[in-house]
Amino acid sequence: MNSLTFYLVIAAILFSFGLFGVLTRRSLIAVLISIELMLNSASLNFMAFNKFVAPDTAIGQIYTLFIMGIAAAEAAIALSIFLALFRQLRSINIERARELRG
Amino acid sequence: MSHGVLPQLGFYGLVILTFSGAMIAVFPRNILYNVLGLALALSGVAGLYVYLGSLFIGLMQLLIYVGAICIAIVFAIMLSRPPHIAKPKRKTSKLVGGIGASVLILCVNLGIIYKTAWKPAAERHLDWSVKTIGDFLLTKYVLVFEVISLVLLVAMLGAIIISRYSGRVS
Amino acid sequence: MVKDPILLACIVTVSLPFLSFLTIFAYTRKWERLSCSISIGAVLTSLICSTYLFVATYHFTEPLQYSIPWLLSGKIIIPFGFLVDHLSMLMLLIVAVISSLVQIYSLGYMAGDPGFSRYYAFQSLFAWAMMTMTIAPSMIQFYIFWELVGLASYLLIGFYYEKWSASQAGKKALVVTRIGDVGMFIGLVIVLLFYGNLGVANINSAAVAQKIPATLLTVSAILIFFGVIGKSAQFPLLTWLPDAMEGPTPVSALLHSATMVAAGVYLFARLFPFFMGSHTALQFALLIGTITMLLSSTMAMVAWDIKKVWAYSTISQLGYMVMALGAGGYFAGMFHLTAHAGFKALLFLCSGVFIHHYHTNDFFVMSRQGARGLKVPMVCMTVGALALSGVFPFSGFFSKESIMVALSHHPNKIWLLAGLFGEILTAYYTFRVIFVMLFPKKIEEHGHHQEEHGGGEGVLYWLMGWPLIILASITCVLGFFEKQIEHYLLGDYMLAHAHVAEAAHGGVHAITIAAILLVIIGVAIAWVEYGRKGAAQEGFLTRLPRLEKLFANRWYMDHFYRWALDTFIYGGFTNLFTRNDRRVVDGGIDAVCRATEGSGRIASFLQSNMVQYNILVMVAVIGFVALSFWG
Repeated sequence: MNSLTFYLVIAAILFSFGLFGVLTRRSLIAVLISIELMLNSASLNFMAFNKFVAPDTAIGQIYTLFIMGIAAAEAAIALSIFLALFRQLRSINIERARELRG
Repeated sequence: MSHGVLPQLGFYGLVILTFSGAMIAVFPRNILYNVLGLALALSGVAGLYVYLGSLFIGLMQLLIYVGAICIAIVFAIMLSRPPHIAKPKRKTSKLVGGIGASVLILCVNLGIIYKTAWKPAAERHLDWSVKTIGDFLLTKYVLVFEVISLVLLVAMLGAIIISRYSGRVS
Repeated sequence: MVKDPILLACIVTVSLPFLSFLTIFAYTRKWERLSCSISIGAVLTSLICSTYLFVATYHFTEPLQYSIPWLLSGKIIIPFGFLVDHLSMLMLLIVAVISSLVQIYSLGYMAGDPGFSRYYAFQSLFAWAMMTMTIAPSMIQFYIFWELVGLASYLLIGFYYEKWSASQAGKKALVVTRIGDVGMFIGLVIVLLFYGNLGVANINSAAVAQKIPATLLTVSAILIFFGVIGKSAQFPLLTWLPDAMEGPTPVSALLHSATMVAAGVYLFARLFPFFMGSHTALQFALLIGTITMLLSSTMAMVAWDIKKVWAYSTISQLGYMVMALGAGGYFAGMFHLTAHAGFKALLFLCSGVFIHHYHTNDFFVMSRQGARGLKVPMVCMTVGALALSGVFPFSGFFSKESIMVALSHHPNKIWLLAGLFGEILTAYYTFRVIFVMLFPKKIEEHGHHQEEHGGGEGVLYWLMGWPLIILASITCVLGFFEKQIEHYLLGDYMLAHAHVAEAAHGGVHAITIAAILLVIIGVAIAWVEYGRKGAAQEGFLTRLPRLEKLFANRWYMDHFYRWALDTFIYGGFTNLFTRNDRRVVDGGIDAVCRATEGSGRIASFLQSNMVQYNILVMVAVIGFVALSFWG
């Protein structure tokens, strides 16, 4: 609880879960969910470093706020793109969108 | 935090919550389960933020991630339900690739974590209050603050435009 | 230029046919008369020169040798030259006489053939090769021209190359003799390695036995004998000679009865002292000769093609010559070679007249069409047949007698008995042909052939007729020169075998009387079956159909060779190469293509518009790069 490595390990494990989801899931929204997990693990890393190692005050928290903001913007855009894609393909299966196939 | 038994138990409980939420977010094939799992995981992370000493950030996490983003995702799910629920089999190669890559990255990260000697900096300020955050946002990190608001504006506009015109076209 | 008349004569003899070949082949193929004149002129000049050489060196006692270094490579010198001794002069004379007679005969036989000039070019090639081979002083030169003789034989057998069987026969002749030549070459190499010198005189000297260990001497002698087996159509390489009858009849007369196949026997006689050094090799030669003689006599008994009968007979008589030489009868073998050259060429040329007239090789058909009406060939053929069977007073009688005497000097009498038995067979198959031709069962009255040729009194007829008459005359009188020839041949060969020559006429009369009786028995059997009035004209063998089939199929030797070829060479050897070509060479190239295609297909998963694969690859690479910084 009071050691840096513990938080870092938790963050690493969360990141791996997220990565697995990104690589394996077929539904676009599931990929988005996994990406959110990964972002959160990065935030956790920042907070842990700030608490135990970094010299600046509150830099980790500010960073986390910014990451949250970016994640929100990204989620908004991504979801609207998914809606547009759904209207075209009638499905959000990532393997169905094959027009750029080479 | 303090070194009592209850906080320790609470900490481990939060960790278990986070991990189970992450697993629910990734493994099952039902999208709604995944969203709910994500909400659970993010709540766990919020708790961890509290344990890290920042109540503000923990509350922000709950507010923004769980309260806004997860709800938005649920909206999108409802709007984009395919007419037939087909559950094709997962490709083995993809699965193997995914497991392999994530295990690899995990090992890499763990290796970095355990091999680095984390030395705390010489002088450390432990001022974690909300007042400090506000001060920094408007003085030292004001550029980033403004840029973030710009990004959010553009994102809103973009989302509206994409949703409107794609409907017109199709 | 060249002072020595003997050397000059040798050079002229050898080079004129060569120049004639080149000229005809390169320049005068369009003008037939010019080509044949050049060729006949060249060979007649060679005949004159060789007669001169024969007479000039008649009283020489020592062999005369001329040589110049021809190919030089460091310390190795390959000479080219001429060896003038009694044996080579005799052989040269035989070759020259028969070549010129055959070339004159061919004027009549090959008239009107589109390949007339080509024929004479090849005849000149053969004459050149054979003559140079005969007077070669070193085994390397001998071998080179031996192979050239084989080449000429191939070209002449396959003369009618548009006919499938003819070209196949030429190929078969070349390949089969080549097999024998391989053995000969290995034998020569062994001698070269151990003795260091391939001069004929050197090989024949006594020093050879000291330098080469006895087993190697035997091995190399047997290997050189393989060359004899191949070229002289002995068992087991005898199947090419009957097929070689696809060539024109004058070619059969020249090459495959008198000269080329006799080259093997000539080799044997040339290296006779060398062979004498190995008793095993002589035994081997004796065995092979006997087997050949008996085998081919049986084959001749059932043949209906006149040329095939004479071909089998040639093989059989060559067997006799090899037997004689194997038993130590140097003079007997060479004398029979001389006599045989005469009467066998005569028989072939006579048959050629019949074939040319009746356009068929089957002597039953010929006789039914009235072949005995052609007087000159019929008489000459009868003379030749009498000589072949060994009837007094023709040359064959004397030569066969000397062979029997030589065989009788061998401790094991079984060879003598085999030789005597062969006499019956020879007489039988020879007179089978003669009686069928002389006494046909019925003469068909078609006769259109006779009208065509106007009774056969044209120039062409006499061009073919005179060589027959000349050869028949030689056959009649040659026998009486036996003593002179013996003295001539053995005079410069004063080894312990001189006592054989003396004992030959010490009165082994019992053998002579036995031989005469056997010949009469053979002729009588033939008469009973074919000659007398009301004869069925079927051999006794038709009552033994299995035997007849065995003989007619050449004791299944061709079948065996075909099977061996198919199984071992085609099935095993070339199959291996074909498979290698298809699987390894082609397969390798195909595999490269398939690998390229396959790897492309594998790598194309990155282009399949699946973002997740790309991300996977990215992450994997980052991970591996990070891992490489481990430690």
